[in-house]
Amino acid sequence: MRDLKHLIKFENLLLEANNALVRQAREEGKLALGYTCYFMPEVLLDLPGCFSVRLRAPRSTSPDMATYYMSSRTCLYGRCLLERALEGGFNFLDAQLATETCTVTCRFQEHLQMMNIIQNPKFFCEFIDVPFKKTPNSYEHYRRQLQAHVLDKLHEHYGVDVSDDAIRAAIAQHNEVCRLVTAIGEYRKLDRPTITGFEFQLIQLVTLCCPKYLIIDDLRETLEELKTREPDDRPGYRCKVVMAGSENDDPYFTKLVEDCGALVVADRHCYGSLPGREEIEIREGETPLAAVARHYLDTGMCPRFMEQDVMRSRKQYLADLVREYKADGVILEQMKFCEYWSYERVIDTLVLPRDYGIPVCSIEKEYVNGSSGQLRTRFQAFVESIEIKKIQGGVRG
Amino acid sequence: MKKLKAKLQALKKVDYKKAARDFWYGKPHEERRLGDLYEDKTGLYKHREWRGVKDTLYYFNNIWLYNYAHMVTDVVKGGDPVAFLKGTLRYRWMGQTYLTVMHWYDRGMEGMRGEALRATAWHYRAMTSETIRQFTRMFAADSKLHGGKKNALWYKTLAHDETVSGCIFYPWRDVIDDVPLQMVPYFVSVHVNSDTVLHYIDAVQSIGLPADPCPMCQAEAGIFVLDDYPDYSPLMVTTNEACDGSVATSILQDWFMNKPLFAMPQPMRFDDPLVQEHCQREIEECWRFIEKHTGIPFDWNQYVKYAERYNQLTAFEREKWDVAANSPYYPISGVAQALYRIYYSQDGDRQIWHDTDKKVRRIMEKCVREKIETFPKTRHRAIAWSCAPLYYSHWCTWAYNCWGINCVINMDSLMFDQDLRTDTYEHAIEDLAWFNEKAPMRAMAVGGHDHIFQLWDYMERFHCDMVVMYDQLQCKGMQGIHGMFEDEFRKRNIHAIWVPHALPDKRTVSRGEIRRIISDYMTTVMHEEPLDPSLVDFDDSMSW
Repeated sequence: MRDLKHLIKFENLLLEANNALVRQAREEGKLALGYTCYFMPEVLLDLPGCFSVRLRAPRSTSPDMATYYMSSRTCLYGRCLLERALEGGFNFLDAQLATETCTVTCRFQEHLQMMNIIQNPKFFCEFIDVPFKKTPNSYEHYRRQLQAHVLDKLHEHYGVDVSDDAIRAAIAQHNEVCRLVTAIGEYRKLDRPTITGFEFQLIQLVTLCCPKYLIIDDLRETLEELKTREPDDRPGYRCKVVMAGSENDDPYFTKLVEDCGALVVADRHCYGSLPGREEIEIREGETPLAAVARHYLDTGMCPRFMEQDVMRSRKQYLADLVREYKADGVILEQMKFCEYWSYERVIDTLVLPRDYGIPVCSIEKEYVNGSSGQLRTRFQAFVESIEIKKIQGGVRG
Repeated sequence: MKKLKAKLQALKKVDYKKAARDFWYGKPHEERRLGDLYEDKTGLYKHREWRGVKDTLYYFNNIWLYNYAHMVTDVVKGGDPVAFLKGTLRYRWMGQTYLTVMHWYDRGMEGMRGEALRATAWHYRAMTSETIRQFTRMFAADSKLHGGKKNALWYKTLAHDETVSGCIFYPWRDVIDDVPLQMVPYFVSVHVNSDTVLHYIDAVQSIGLPADPCPMCQAEAGIFVLDDYPDYSPLMVTTNEACDGSVATSILQDWFMNKPLFAMPQPMRFDDPLVQEHCQREIEECWRFIEKHTGIPFDWNQYVKYAERYNQLTAFEREKWDVAANSPYYPISGVAQALYRIYYSQDGDRQIWHDTDKKVRRIMEKCVREKIETFPKTRHRAIAWSCAPLYYSHWCTWAYNCWGINCVINMDSLMFDQDLRTDTYEHAIEDLAWFNEKAPMRAMAVGGHDHIFQLWDYMERFHCDMVVMYDQLQCKGMQGIHGMFEDEFRKRNIHAIWVPHALPDKRTVSRGEIRRIISDYMTTVMHEEPLDPSLVDFDDSMSW
């Protein structure tokens, strides 16, 4: 396929958290607001005068200092973030808006609070309490938390305009980005997709890690390019898969999968777009903040949701993605030491083949995927098994 | 002839006065050599410990015999001895633990004398009694033991996660019995027989779960994987206490149980005033769920009755803390303090706790009145922090006997420190929410660093000079703040012994390894000699 014009630029932007666009926005006087989790609504960190940066620690190696503080028995994502912070890699942040949604990222952010790591005298780190259910009680609780710990704090510390109009403006910008990313993602649904999982993940990550107003034109151009992009005559893949699981901000992990012959057509994981790039709708009589709160709880598919019907519906959601994106199977990936996804992966691995007939490749991975040789073997075997199933199915048919 | 002469010579050297004193009162601490009593590896006793005439008789008669007898009569009182027998054969956690109970007593009360022995034993007795009450109820209502039929008790019993406090169910206490689902199968069984739970951990890993999540959650999930849980209730109430692993376990439990489930999560940032209302509404939604599925309405009067009774337990607990903190006369051992407190506060009000507190109060008041130093060889007053090794909760008995480390208080004991007001509904729900939020691990392991660092305040309050820092290797909350503790210990010049463990899984860090770590610290850092050298190194790897 013809190269996408901005892809190299996107790839370069993702090589460090404090990338060229982040620096540019800060030079323009914008506030850089960090976060780690979907439950900290990025839209509220993109209020006028601010921009959100979902934290990553690209090119991490061995997080030795962070391992002293958090031991070697916690997830490497949290540790690599702390290491990067200790190295000074997040000093560009004006605030960290934190969630106690999984234990280790919570601990990482508590270290930011306690240890005076971020070398910015005005820096602050504020936590919200995120509910575990999607009920009216939870919506209201979440809304109040966002008001008190995000909006009020931003206003108090930096005088940010947190009025309804400002939130509406942020939602408008957010929705445009979501529309663009979703439209780009639609090309993954084609019988012969005209965008790879690697390319899509670069685009998705850029929207999470860079000031939106500085990349939106590039997104528009990319979408235009895709309208006329032709697939290769001979597809470079042997099957199509949905990638599902825990934290995954590493496009090279997706590339590894695709190099093994499995095209990643859907990304249902933290930092992915499913869910994540749905537009926020402000309903009749609803305040913009209430709409944001409802939206993020309703769309969230995190295994921390505990209601019985929600726990069960997550399997159906995954099966629906497989059908919608015409995938042949699911790669379930779980960051080592992620407790939520340890269990979710196990149950998905049992349920998807049994109840939905969907082949599953279930793997545990690190933030720094040094063991790519082992993973490559697993993915190659999975691709072969799907091919064999297809051949057998063809013979039977 | 020579041998006879030698024996006579030896007899001449005997100090008969001392021998008589040892016989009557038991040997002084330093001469006991308790380690010589063990069979190698199994930790079984070659013979029972001689504690002096009075205490030996007390132990045999009032503890050993008394409890064995009650383990029979309590089951009979439960009303369905056939179900008990069936349950013993049906459930691994039951069959493997019932007859090892008295060895659990022996391990926990080793070396104890006088009032400490008596007060500690009453705590053990209460826990045994309540355990029997719980499993007799589970078995009586269990459809699996009744040919798949759901009897009347099945509809009148309520299953909940062991980390949901029994206080939530007070409005139905007179008509529905709430029984924590994993309390006996997991929590109690691992204390009594540390081998039993390993099977459950292996079971859940055999279906693909990695080995690193919290082993408590793994063991609880394994019970479901092996279908080793009684089916005694039409519904289930679960929670997110204490951690991500607990939340995630609910997914597996729900899958295997397949019955109406209500999740009653607690807020993570519980000292944020804004979370209180949310927590209160969750409790109310739980109550509505129970009403809906049982058809029995919420009864305010029942709530008031049991909440007020429970407040009496809390009040006495504070008196106990006061004595423990400010005097050497506290008669309850570290292990009894921890287990009894976590058991009754999680379970909620039951008559047995009142009966026990009455007896313990008498003993404690006597100790204070007569200035009886219950643990007279105390060299260090320790506070145990974070979550404890369940397979070696009696480490503190060993630590006192061997090194004079007296574990005065522990993190689990300090939970649920909340009165429940009953003057108005608003006050009641407010306090109940707070009570719920002050669950042990939520308050001091994964609910934000502010609470974890309350350690320093408690050290001061209980006049402790040492911290035994439990290092639960798979607890992400505590592992994630490990270095901060190290920094603080150094800054504050505190003696802290890190004790690694894996909650119920003794294969990760054995009991012997825990002892070695403590002994190494005591010799290399503290430069102390053991009180009882026979306890420094022994092999109990095959012990229950």
